[in-house]
Amino acid sequence: MERLIIAVAVLPLISALFIQLFAGRFGRSIARLSVAMTTLSFLLSGLLLALAISGSENLAIPLGSSAAVLLFDPLSTLLATIILGISLIVHLYSVRYMAEEAGYGQFFVLLDMMTAALLFMVIAGDLITLVISWYLVGVILYFLLGQDTRSQTAYRFAFWTLITYRLGDLPLILAAALLFNAYDTWSLTIIFSEVMANPDAHQVLGLPLTDVVAALIGLAAFARSAQFLLHTWLPYTMDGPTPVSALMHAGIVNAGGFLINRFAPVFIHSSEVLHWIFIVGLITAIFGSLLMLTQNDIKKALGYSTMGQMGFMIMECGIGAFSLAIYHMFAHGVFKGTMFLSAGGVINQAREDDGIPKDELYTFAVEKRPNKARYPWLLMAVVTLLVPLVILVFAHLLVSEDYFQKQGAIVLLFFGWVTGAQLIFATYKMRSQNVWRLVGLSILSLLIVVLGYVFISHAFDQFLYPDAAFQAQLYSAANIDSLSFDVLVVIVTLIIVSGWGMTYFSEQYGHRRAQKSKRLWLNFYALISREFYVSDVYTRLSRTLLTMSSRLNVWLRWL
Amino acid sequence: MPDLLSILLIAIFLPLFPMSMVFNALLENIKPNGLRVLLFILWPLIGVLIAINSEFVIPGWLLPLALSTSLLYAIRLLTLREVNQWTGFLATSTWSLLWLPVIEGNSAELLYGFAIGMSVPLVLLVLLAAGLERRFGAAYTGLYGGLARTIPRYAGVLVTVVIAAVATPLFPTFFFMLDMVVETISTTPSAALVLLFIWLFWSWAGARLIQGLIVGRASHNKIADMSIASISFYSIVLIVLMLGGIYLAGAIL
Repeated sequence: MERLIIAVAVLPLISALFIQLFAGRFGRSIARLSVAMTTLSFLLSGLLLALAISGSENLAIPLGSSAAVLLFDPLSTLLATIILGISLIVHLYSVRYMAEEAGYGQFFVLLDMMTAALLFMVIAGDLITLVISWYLVGVILYFLLGQDTRSQTAYRFAFWTLITYRLGDLPLILAAALLFNAYDTWSLTIIFSEVMANPDAHQVLGLPLTDVVAALIGLAAFARSAQFLLHTWLPYTMDGPTPVSALMHAGIVNAGGFLINRFAPVFIHSSEVLHWIFIVGLITAIFGSLLMLTQNDIKKALGYSTMGQMGFMIMECGIGAFSLAIYHMFAHGVFKGTMFLSAGGVINQAREDDGIPKDELYTFAVEKRPNKARYPWLLMAVVTLLVPLVILVFAHLLVSEDYFQKQGAIVLLFFGWVTGAQLIFATYKMRSQNVWRLVGLSILSLLIVVLGYVFISHAFDQFLYPDAAFQAQLYSAANIDSLSFDVLVVIVTLIIVSGWGMTYFSEQYGHRRAQKSKRLWLNFYALISREFYVSDVYTRLSRTLLTMSSRLNVWLRWL
Repeated sequence: MPDLLSILLIAIFLPLFPMSMVFNALLENIKPNGLRVLLFILWPLIGVLIAINSEFVIPGWLLPLALSTSLLYAIRLLTLREVNQWTGFLATSTWSLLWLPVIEGNSAELLYGFAIGMSVPLVLLVLLAAGLERRFGAAYTGLYGGLARTIPRYAGVLVTVVIAAVATPLFPTFFFMLDMVVETISTTPSAALVLLFIWLFWSWAGARLIQGLIVGRASHNKIADMSIASISFYSIVLIVLMLGGIYLAGAIL
């Protein structure tokens, strides 16, 4: 077992070293070695995952006599397999995609090093290995994004990524230093067992250590997972090669969710931090989705889509659904990776034939011509609001009867209900010969999606956090008092329902919109089109710092 | 020797502002590369030697001054374009932090280890700057650029050396910085925060230096790339440096 884990992490490193040394001799065929090593590592990680699923004991494996420790546990084996799976696809894709590019061998060296850094990050059993791999991911990504060394733009945005990642390193380093000072060990296993045994044993500046560490870990995760105000690098890093974009959006950006999961024992004992994480995730999800919808550049739209998804992932952590965040990370990774890798093919196809069928969906979504026919409103309201709710409640009851005792579950249910209702609401308005058939199909797809999501996320829950008490603690750590929760649910429901009402009235009486509201709308559009001026503010701040640096040099006569 | 005099003397070699200007003025006026290399190796060692052989009471203002000096030079580093001057400022910023283990009362071996581990990448950078001056007449960012396409082997080594110099894992300066954060976080958390920002500025400056030199189109002129023997030399030194970093980590963490 020990050798297996070490082999999984070390194989990509060996591949990188070999390519660096012999790329000149073997030419472009050297890429096959990289693919072979990644395949082997992927198979071994699959074997480890199978062992973990079959119930093998968790292990902490020291690397020689050093403080470095590798972990064999459900989280590390699952994520190692996902990383290697995505990395293998990216490797296979890159063999031909990058063939015409300069620095072909170097690209595979960096790709292998990135794979190794990500693997070490997820299997790290001590704080030093975790900090080192966390740090190196940012550095390697900088060079991967700057693969085209002729492009100043690619490097400009790679730099944004690097500096945001470095900012995210700082809280992790601080958290590591605080934990080491408190527990006198780098081992995560020992630290977590001591935190679980006596969570209030240590304080920092008068605050509980668990709160401070959880907040720092949250900050590190925000920078890595492009949460609002630390997101600007993500939509702009599209000048890098497509396989790198795929790897970044499908894997690297998810690291925030992993980090929060890894420190779950600390989050259980933190008081308010999960609530803040939820709020940041929620804001990111809203802003990401809003900005995605208003982009006219498809790549930036994809970038903002990832930002929105990362917001959802962090939000899931904030409600205590830690394992769901891992499932989200996996599902989003596969989905977004496919989108990026197939983008080239789709563009080529579209040049020959746009392939858009001029059917009901096209008329509704692209031509924006909704169905004018009227149906009995009460019947439609009942179908819209009740059907998704029944499906969600039924699916959740199938996996766990006490599911609705958790506030986090209610939040998830709420989101599912709103999404489902929105789906059915949109279906009526499509021009269709048989609207009931369309509604039926929508409900059927909703049923399949919800059942699939509920069963898989339940399986993830059982695998990652098999201890029911620990799982319950995660949810209860995210709880707020019942009255506030109920009030919030009512407020959010009112906001959503009034949103639907506004949409309806805007479509019915939009032409009568007052001049004042039009101006307001245009101002709002201007704000969105400038992406809320976040990157402008950062550019201004960095220019100020550089001006200050320059002036200092002049005043001090360059000495 | 009175305390203040000792500190002033050490402050020339383990630079504290404004004494830090002495080293940078000297560096600007020394042209032979051999002497520059010697300067980068000996300067911090002399400082450490005097520090461990002097007996003085450490005043309270020393830690803030050392951190301020390091921060000042880290910020000034951001807009430097001449590689030798850049190396001098980075040296000033890193060596001034050697005061922290002096204040913490670390052993002489460890202090020498830190000083050497910090200086070796700077020495390599001086040698690389000399190579650029030979090839292009100046080692200056943004002047010619495109080194990754013009002289790819040279650019590769340059990038690795800059990475080593700005405290990236697994090089010694990384472990030094990590150790200093761990040492200061419990006693003076503000010092740990300043250290982290200094570290951030180094990375920022390193990225600007790399971008100014390696990014861009290939030069039309034929320029000799680094020889295999030179690559082997740099690679061996960097590997030894990395192993030294891991060894240092074992000793301090």
